[in-house]
Amino acid sequence: MRIGLACPYTWDVPGGVQVHVRDLAETLLRLGHEVSVITPVDDEDTLPSYAVSAGKAMSVPYNGSVTRILMGPVSAARVRRWVREGEFDVVHAHEPTAPSVSLLACMMASGPLVATYHTSNPRSRILTALQGALQPSLEKVWANIAVSEAARRTIVEHLGVDAVLIPNGVNVAAFKDAEPLPELASPAPTIAFVGRIDEPRKGLAVLLEALPLIVAAIPDARVLVAGPGDIEAVTETLTPVGRKHVKLLGLISNEDKARFFRTADVYVAPNTGQESFGIVLLEAMAARTPVVASDIDAFSRVLEDGTAGRLFANENPGSLAAVLIEVLGSQAERTRLSELGWNAVQQYDWATVAAEIVQVYETVTQDAPA
Amino acid sequence: MTQVIAVVAIVVALASYLTWMAGRLDRLAVRVEAAASALDAQLIRRAAIAVELAGSEYPNLQAAAYLAFDEAATGNDRSAVESELSRALRAAPEVAAVDEMAVAARKVMLARQFHNDAVRDLLALRRRWVVRLLHLYGRAGPPAYVEFDAGEAGG
Repeated sequence: MRIGLACPYTWDVPGGVQVHVRDLAETLLRLGHEVSVITPVDDEDTLPSYAVSAGKAMSVPYNGSVTRILMGPVSAARVRRWVREGEFDVVHAHEPTAPSVSLLACMMASGPLVATYHTSNPRSRILTALQGALQPSLEKVWANIAVSEAARRTIVEHLGVDAVLIPNGVNVAAFKDAEPLPELASPAPTIAFVGRIDEPRKGLAVLLEALPLIVAAIPDARVLVAGPGDIEAVTETLTPVGRKHVKLLGLISNEDKARFFRTADVYVAPNTGQESFGIVLLEAMAARTPVVASDIDAFSRVLEDGTAGRLFANENPGSLAAVLIEVLGSQAERTRLSELGWNAVQQYDWATVAAEIVQVYETVTQDAPA
Repeated sequence: MTQVIAVVAIVVALASYLTWMAGRLDRLAVRVEAAASALDAQLIRRAAIAVELAGSEYPNLQAAAYLAFDEAATGNDRSAVESELSRALRAAPEVAAVDEMAVAARKVMLARQFHNDAVRDLLALRRRWVVRLLHLYGRAGPPAYVEFDAGEAGG
């Protein structure tokens, strides 16, 4: 099948949607399909051979963080040419409500069009306000996919469209055999955190508040923090205990992320809300690292109500500390969680997820081999 | 003179708007039709696979599958026979679990949802007052939702 994938966000800036599009494209290529991706990009040299550039995106502040958009005659012309010359059996636009390449692809496409919604945003006034303007483009979509129940609820409420649920994928093979990072290796019980260090909803503060309790029980425990943000500013806010037991590593590469998980004894996700899915949890599970996460909706689902990893009461440092002390104190418990997580993550392997997406393509194109 | 220009401008704007609206309606009608024929194809496919896999071991399933298969050719209301086939499949979990069968059942669910999504979008547009007032949808009757028991996700 000839498949065109539209990615709305800058290819060489880290982000969940970009990773999703890349992994989907590469899995589809492995399955023998022809794939072309169109995406905004800053440095065209970073594009793989299957991707074409739609131009450079502009940064605008939106919803408390920075969103990069790409709309305009030049990129519209590029998307139009891509659609026309691609002669795709199906065009698959990711996050088509973002003012970027995917929305343009919806406007230009004339045949079978599939859209995937990634974000959950329970109170998006912007989305509701724009619904009328977006409707003519979105009604061209033949099949809507949501990566999570939260994402599905968001579009049902704001856009009045329904979607089938197909979860995010994770490249299990890339995580399971990663080698630990030698420069970080240590016999000390190690807790891993991944995410922006200065974004409150990622929950680093909850972990730091729990730290004194953890150290009281396990004196040599340490926390490795991987993620972008102002390291100096966060270091200044650390208590003496924090300075002694926390190591801020800054942003780590995607390749090193797998090795980072393998270096840790437990991965903790103290996010306080607004998560649509929890892909990082799956990555840790694929690396066979035990997962401890806040009991927000998205995480409870991924951890199957606490059977594939441990949950603690959201925003409650005491609850987090109690769970972490138990997990770090027992090799048997860690082995058990690692096994359960490994079993649970299999259903999210890209091979499985891509097969479900291909079923959607086949349904809309009626090209239905067994 | 300016009045003439203003009137011409308004007429042109109005005509473009109506043309655009009619284009949307056309496009949605195409989408509904494509979704309906996709659903049709998936239903026939499911029935065919069920006939093949049921054999004489599952007489109920075989009967339900034949019935669905025959009904597809007549174009009658199929919701009753398709629901019956879904129930027969549930009663024969060994057959429903066969990969080919599970994929076919899942595609029926997908096709039904995509069809009904398309119907919902078209009905929403047809309810606009401009569209109703000027009969922009021509002589086409309103599209209908397809409802039947499609069973549990089998894949």
